[in-house]
Amino acid sequence: MIHAAGFFPYGIVGGSTNLEEANAHLQAWACSHSRSALARALEGKLDFLDGLIIPHTCDTMRMLLDLWEHVRPLPYMENYRLPRQANRSSAGKYLLGELKRIKTGLEEFRGAPIEDEALRDSIDLYNQNRRMLRRLTDLHISYPHLISSRRLYTVINASMVLPREEVNRLLQALVGQLEQDLDGQAGDGHVRLLLSGTLLEPFEVLDYIEEFGGTVVADDFQNGYRYIEGDVNTELAPLEALVDRQLKRIPSAAFDIEQNPRRFFLTDLAKGKKAEGAILLHLTFCEPENFDSYDNLKAMQAVGIPATRIETQFGGSGLGQIRTRIHAFMEMLGGESR
Amino acid sequence: MSAKNVFKTAELMKKIMKDYNEAGRAAKEGGRPVAWVTAVFPVEIIYAAGLFPYYPENFGAVAAARKVTHELSTAAEAKGYAGDLCGYARSGIGDAYSEEHPVGKILEPDLLFCCNTQCGSLPKWFEVAGRVYNSPYFLLDSPRVGLETDRLCIDYFIDQLHEMITFIEKQTGEPFDYDHLTEVLHLSNEACRLWNEILDSAALRPAPFGFFDACFHMAPIVTMRGTREAVDYYRALKEEIEERIEKGITAIPEERHKIYFDHIPCWPKLRWFSELFASQGALVVASQYTHSWAYSFDLERPLESLAENYTHEFVNRCFEYRVNRKISFMKKYDVDGFVLFSNRSCKPNAFGLYAKSKLIREKTGLPGAVFEADMADLRLFSEDQVLAKLEPFFEQLH
Repeated sequence: MIHAAGFFPYGIVGGSTNLEEANAHLQAWACSHSRSALARALEGKLDFLDGLIIPHTCDTMRMLLDLWEHVRPLPYMENYRLPRQANRSSAGKYLLGELKRIKTGLEEFRGAPIEDEALRDSIDLYNQNRRMLRRLTDLHISYPHLISSRRLYTVINASMVLPREEVNRLLQALVGQLEQDLDGQAGDGHVRLLLSGTLLEPFEVLDYIEEFGGTVVADDFQNGYRYIEGDVNTELAPLEALVDRQLKRIPSAAFDIEQNPRRFFLTDLAKGKKAEGAILLHLTFCEPENFDSYDNLKAMQAVGIPATRIETQFGGSGLGQIRTRIHAFMEMLGGESR
Repeated sequence: MSAKNVFKTAELMKKIMKDYNEAGRAAKEGGRPVAWVTAVFPVEIIYAAGLFPYYPENFGAVAAARKVTHELSTAAEAKGYAGDLCGYARSGIGDAYSEEHPVGKILEPDLLFCCNTQCGSLPKWFEVAGRVYNSPYFLLDSPRVGLETDRLCIDYFIDQLHEMITFIEKQTGEPFDYDHLTEVLHLSNEACRLWNEILDSAALRPAPFGFFDACFHMAPIVTMRGTREAVDYYRALKEEIEERIEKGITAIPEERHKIYFDHIPCWPKLRWFSELFASQGALVVASQYTHSWAYSFDLERPLESLAENYTHEFVNRCFEYRVNRKISFMKKYDVDGFVLFSNRSCKPNAFGLYAKSKLIREKTGLPGAVFEADMADLRLFSEDQVLAKLEPFFEQLH
């Protein structure tokens, strides 16, 4: 919808290490994702933005926009009030209303309506992007020596901040080249891992996994598989199609569905991708994730997949400890002996 | 709240809360479904459906007041629930996994109902409980509301009330009694009206009743609004307050200042705080927290009215609305300063508080302070740190 309005969608995923100024506004026990995002704004590093939309995925995100608006206002600021239940009919009806509300706001800010045709074109562009990223993911899973975990997730994250048209052109070239290169090559003996969590951060995690003989074959990160799974149904009217995709997305800790289906989604995913181990990356102070992680670990263990939980933070702190933990886990899985 | 200043009604409250807890146990034994609910939830529907509403938050507050949150929390933390989650949630989850039950065992749910106006912690806690106790769970979702009346949210909430009633009918096997709902709403209106008249008495100079008294007397408005018992209780309390006004009995010995306080009190330190403020001649007179239960239902349009009241409750509103509301309380109670509690257990109330404090100071010219602590867990409380914030504040009052 943002793209169809003629704006450039730019995904903010943390990124500042200087949290001093943010500390004055947001308590140290808010997650490092929110604090480093606000820190970037306070440092003026996001002044190129004309607007900001924050989706309600947790209490911190629910409070962040108002605070941001107060300390560093932008011309257009909006909450995206996602329904927090996704399995009853009221959710779809409400979400359609919420998307219409945001559409109207974008149109007012833009000074012109967002036409259905433009919306369809943007949906096509984004579907194409997700399809190519999924293809790239498949290539990585089968041929991790051709495209490493670090590179795969770097490309996925680059998609969030670069013009999508450009990304798609580059992706097409990359996928084409890789498909040529894989001729006659077979996958190698990496230890196959599933990663799970809110956000994949820090990316050094991926280096450590590879250093100790592993590769990532599945994940459910918001800046990973959750971002690229599932296309928008082009048979439906555009807004209805966006509602449909949102409500059908893979389970997340941010949405309340009875009996935490995410744990079974994760075990099914691990089994489907033949994962030999699972690492839950737990962003410190991420409340929704914390409430689920005991169950998720238990579920993994119940299906015989060794799993561990590692606490992470934005800003590069504690890397040594993370490396040690990954080393120990990989050793247990026999990573280095392969 | 010196010993001689204890309300006679306190005895009555102990009795009705004891009766309430016994009714819960009797319900459990007698096959009347126990329904967990959250504090800002249309409990009127639960009462009208004949279910027994139980408040795990109240369990959390009792554990906090008895200074045992950290003991219960240890059992939750051993499972990987972090020590920085809401203290009430850690108490509840801890109780489920603990061999020890220092405040008695939590009443196990047959059904769970949660409204997320207050926060996102409650739904996650209730979800966990739904799995632990293997009970069906219903989330009443309430998107945040801005400054204006929000039709989209009200309509969404009404749709969900219908879904919830269908869910209840399926569980109980009985049709929902809308006539009974009207009676319950009438009683809820009465209790809310009385409660707010009681809170208003804090505006008198000197006042017979303050925020710390309200914290003590609030259990029935949270757990029993919609019942005759709550109405009778607040009628008795109001009479006692009127009697105190006549006799000149005041909340603190020498009231020189009136203070606004947000939000939830620090339960294990309630007495410490009340004595600290009283020692400065300062009466804490109001808080958004105790004013949460100020509903007014239109009996002609029960579901619509429930939706309007609960979705537009202050805990579900935007930054600006909440600042305006705080300031309007400060004006109404004519306060001399404000104290804001950055509560580790309550992200929605704590995040943005420093900006709110600054804005309120600018808009009102009143002195204010923000302190960091936890409403429940003494491990996250330091007298020295709180005093370091409050002592300079008290200086500004004189």
